[in-house]
Amino acid sequence: MKTVDYFKMLLVVVAVFVVSLVATTDIKAQTTYKPYFGNVDWQFNAPFGNDFTNRASGWGANLEGGLFVTTKVGLGLFVSYSTNHKSLPMETLHPTATSTLTAKQSRSLFQIPFGVDVRYRFYERSRVCDPYVGLKIGTSYVQLSSYMSTFRVYDDCWGFYMSPEIGTNLWLNSEKSFGFNMSAYYSFSTNKARVLDGHVNQVNNMGVRVGVAF
Amino acid sequence: MKKLIPLLFTALLFASCEKEPNLDEVQEDYVVYTQYDKDANFSKGKHFYVPDSVLVVSGKGRGATYLDASDANDIINAYSIQMEKRGYVKTADKTEANYGLQISYVESTYYFINSVSWWSDYPWYWSPTYWWPWYDGNWYYPYQFIYKYTYGSLICEMIDLSSVSEVSSSSKPTVIWNNYITGIYYIDSNMLPRLVKAVNQSFEQSPYIKF
Repeated sequence: MKTVDYFKMLLVVVAVFVVSLVATTDIKAQTTYKPYFGNVDWQFNAPFGNDFTNRASGWGANLEGGLFVTTKVGLGLFVSYSTNHKSLPMETLHPTATSTLTAKQSRSLFQIPFGVDVRYRFYERSRVCDPYVGLKIGTSYVQLSSYMSTFRVYDDCWGFYMSPEIGTNLWLNSEKSFGFNMSAYYSFSTNKARVLDGHVNQVNNMGVRVGVAF
Repeated sequence: MKKLIPLLFTALLFASCEKEPNLDEVQEDYVVYTQYDKDANFSKGKHFYVPDSVLVVSGKGRGATYLDASDANDIINAYSIQMEKRGYVKTADKTEANYGLQISYVESTYYFINSVSWWSDYPWYWSPTYWWPWYDGNWYYPYQFIYKYTYGSLICEMIDLSSVSEVSSSSKPTVIWNNYITGIYYIDSNMLPRLVKAVNQSFEQSPYIKF
C-alpha cells in the first residue's frame, strides 16, 4: 500500500477522534453505562527508524479487553501481531571474515506484543461516539527473518513494549454491545536483533486499527 | 448472533499470524555461498584435478550414486572453466595435481557439522582415500561450518592435495575452499545457464583463488 494511503488512513482516524471528542456530550439519563471494553481489530502497521524493513503492511491484528475500574479509567489485557516485509535485490554479503554470500533476500519483521492495557474514556455515558486514549505496556516478541531461496536465516528476541494510542468506539445500538473501533498508535520496544546485514536496535511503529468493538 | 461476530472476527484475524513473503522473487536465482581457509595458499601449484563424476548425496544406507554423465559434465566443465580462467591447468593425472575439486549434488536435506564426525554418518561421501589411498583419517576444515544442505544444492570443495604426506604424521586432509549453491530443484536442460551463472558468481566472490 502506498505511503500516502497510509497517511490518509491515519488522518481519518485522528479526524474521527477529534470530531467525536468535540461533538460528543454525556447524556446520562438516556444511555447505557458500559462497565467493560473490548475490541478486535485489523491492524495496519508501519515500522520506522531501523535498517531492516520500513515497509508498511496490513498483515496484522489486535485483540484487547478489560473492565472500567472507575467511571472513566479501564484496565485490561491486549495482544497483537504484525508482519512487515522488504525485498532486496541480489547482493553480496560477508557473514564472517572468510565467508561470502550472494543472494536475493526477502526480509520479514514479525512482532507479537502483549501485556496490560490502560484506557481513559472521555465520556462515561455518550450515545454514539466513545473517544478514548490508551496506553499499552508489556513485552514484545520480535523475530527477524531473511528468506533466501529454499531456506531462511532468523534471529529472535524479547523486549519491553510501550504504546500510546488514541481511538474512538462508534456504537451501533443503544446497549453499546456492538460497534466499530478506530484507533491510531505509536509503539516502541527495546528489542535488538540482527540477521546478516540487517538489524533492529529498538523497534518503532506507527499504525492504525479498524475493527469491531463489543 | 451479534456476540458471535467478534469471536469469528478474532478467529479469522489470528488464524495465521506470521505471513511468509512472496518467495517467487528470491527463488529466481540460486544462493551462492563460499568459505575459505584464511591461511591457505592458493598459489602453491597450477594443476587441479576434478573427478569425472558428481556425487549424489541421497538417503543413508543407499551407497554412493552419481549424476548422469551428461549432467555431470556440464557442472564439471563450469568449474573447470573458472579454474582455468584463474590461471590453473586441468590435469588428468591425480598424482600431479596440487588441488582437487570434489563436487556433490544434494538430493535430500542433511546437516553437516564439523564439530562432530559427520562423515561417519555419511560413509558414501567423498573420502580422503579417494585422493590419498593410504590415508585413514577424516577431513579437516580450518573454518567453522554448520550447514543445512537442503534439497537441490550443489557443493564443491577444494582440497589442498599437499596437505597430506606419507612421511608426515601431522597430515590433515584440508578443505581450503567450500562452495555451496542452493535452489536447484531439479537437473534439466534449463538448469545449466543459471547454474553456470552461479558457479561464475562463486569464483567472482572468491578473488583469492588465483595462480
